[in-house]
Amino acid sequence: MTALASGIERREKVNRPAVRVPAERLLEVAARLRDDPALAFDMLVDHAAIDWHAENRFELFYHLFSTAHGHALTLTAFVPRDAPVVPTVSRIWPVAEWQEREAYDLMGILYDEHPDLRRLFLEDDWQGFPLRKDYRDPDMLEFQK
Amino acid sequence: MALIIDTLPGLAEKIPGGQVLVTSLDWLLNWSRANSLWPLSFGTKCCAIEMLMATGASHQDLSRFGAEVARNTPRQADVMVIAGAIVKKMAPRMRMLYEQMAEPRWVMATGSCAISGGPFMYNSYHIVRGADEVVPVDVYVPGCPPRPEAFFWGLLTLQRMIRRGETVRAPGVRRKPVLSALPQGIAVQDIRAEIHAALEAENVVDVENAAAASPWHGKLRQWMATNLYKP
Repeated sequence: MTALASGIERREKVNRPAVRVPAERLLEVAARLRDDPALAFDMLVDHAAIDWHAENRFELFYHLFSTAHGHALTLTAFVPRDAPVVPTVSRIWPVAEWQEREAYDLMGILYDEHPDLRRLFLEDDWQGFPLRKDYRDPDMLEFQK
Repeated sequence: MALIIDTLPGLAEKIPGGQVLVTSLDWLLNWSRANSLWPLSFGTKCCAIEMLMATGASHQDLSRFGAEVARNTPRQADVMVIAGAIVKKMAPRMRMLYEQMAEPRWVMATGSCAISGGPFMYNSYHIVRGADEVVPVDVYVPGCPPRPEAFFWGLLTLQRMIRRGETVRAPGVRRKPVLSALPQGIAVQDIRAEIHAALEAENVVDVENAAAASPWHGKLRQWMATNLYKP
């Protein structure tokens, strides 16, 4: 457990247990969280990204739940804005495949070794990632001043 | 129907006074079109719950206006009710649905989103700013969403437009779009009275005066005087 805990930051002042991990250790921590019988987080409830534009980085969050024990955990990780590459967790929780496709579609997060990283909601020929804070569109009238 | 439209006016032109028949046929066709609108089952957002489900249910009773037969295929539908916002991914599909509908076809845009984009007018990447950027719209019904009464008011506006507008001699000629805002302070009784008056007016046909009021009436008299009543 001590080897696992290096680099993992426990977040205080949140209303549910939350830990922040380095992006390169995400896969290892996620596999342990699912496979350890004392933890047994077998359900990925939600996954998406937050654009912290001023800090020039994205925050990825994974809401986990254990149907065996009934406890929950939030896993977060930061990735830099200019190279938003993280390993996919879709081999650990298969439901993450489409949630990661959504995060790619709207935020442009790139998931390493994702089986099918295509757009989910927007057209295939869409340019840009619309939920980024610096996204601009000719139809957005308030930016035409 | 196509047979009548294609051949009967040409035949009737040769008969003296035959244009009365054609005018009556226009009136009959427009009347029947206005009273048998078949809407397309096509709802894109929350307005569809008000427009197609609440009004189609038994309490509001859309069949009073002859528009209750909602079809699931555009090839059998006359009127497309755009109920809700159109996302950019939906726009080409909606255009395809519109082009699959047979002429004559009409489009009603109900709700703020279908008229202008509504709350998605600003700072939105995915909503078309008004359904009339994709298809021509005949009647706009404002509201967010419109009440069923407002929708019925828009439907009556469309029926009035059809009765006065498109004829068998000029199919496809469109009037300008109509903003059908339900005026303030109109109660159900007023709408009922209007429907009653419209039905009453349609049931009385004064053929003589209707012919006398038409622009070709003088020519007809002249033709009859020169050709039929020679001493």
